[in-house]
Amino acid sequence: MSAPTPKSEYMLFFRGPHWDRGLSAEELQQVMAQVMAWFEGLKHQGKVKAGQPLGAEGKHVSGKKGRTIADGPFAESKEAVGGYLLVEAENLDEAVAIAKSNPTLEYGVTIEVRPVLEECPIFDRARKRLLSDAMA
Amino acid sequence: MSTTTPKSDYMLLFRGTNWDEGISPEQRQKVVTDWYAWFERLKQEGKCTGGHPLENEGKLVSGKKGRSVADGPFAESKEAIGGYFYLQVAGEDEAIAIAQQCPGLDYGAVVEVRPVAEMCAVRSRAVEFAERTGTLASATA
Repeated sequence: MSAPTPKSEYMLFFRGPHWDRGLSAEELQQVMAQVMAWFEGLKHQGKVKAGQPLGAEGKHVSGKKGRTIADGPFAESKEAVGGYLLVEAENLDEAVAIAKSNPTLEYGVTIEVRPVLEECPIFDRARKRLLSDAMA
Repeated sequence: MSTTTPKSDYMLLFRGTNWDEGISPEQRQKVVTDWYAWFERLKQEGKCTGGHPLENEGKLVSGKKGRSVADGPFAESKEAIGGYFYLQVAGEDEAIAIAQQCPGLDYGAVVEVRPVAEMCAVRSRAVEFAERTGTLASATA
């Protein structure tokens, strides 16, 4: 029996949570059925690690000690993240193929596909800088 | 015996992937140390059940059948999502209080706090229509 191929995790962010604007209610129901089938299909293949919609409310916290708290709405923007899916795939191409098969793309949703890392690049830069400083 | 507080799920999305540009190595090292300690503490307290940094390169899929596949970079943008935490807390106030502890904030990172929804808003609208027209069975199948 061959060893299983190592899998990687990819985060899919679904942007544009108001893509149903302009759709008739019947069309919307049809698309939702397709979306549920798509999701169930992925779960069935064991590719879904996690996934949820995100509420339209929310806050942006910024500034020193997070003193600035700005309200949403985030849902108005085409850039706003409406939900996420954490998938397991062999490589980025497969993760992109999974994204491409999502039925809401027809209606203007964009899907950001990001590889999940073991370590944050900022931490990585810190480590490298420390190392080069130590060797100087 | 205490009763457990009902928990709500929130996501913290860390926006800004290059806020460490221009800070000294000592500052960066401190942020890194503080961030790991923060993550570990939240996990130990049972408030954070997961989190990951995300690679800055990636793809943006759009258009019919996802025919448009654009490359990043996502790293240039102050809006780019650099990572996330998944929280289970008493409510939004607590999620915000946790967000305010983020060590990257002092340097310009922005933390987006989003409630996890039971059902996607679009699906809610579909279900609502189905209930109004009596076609509920197919909508929730």
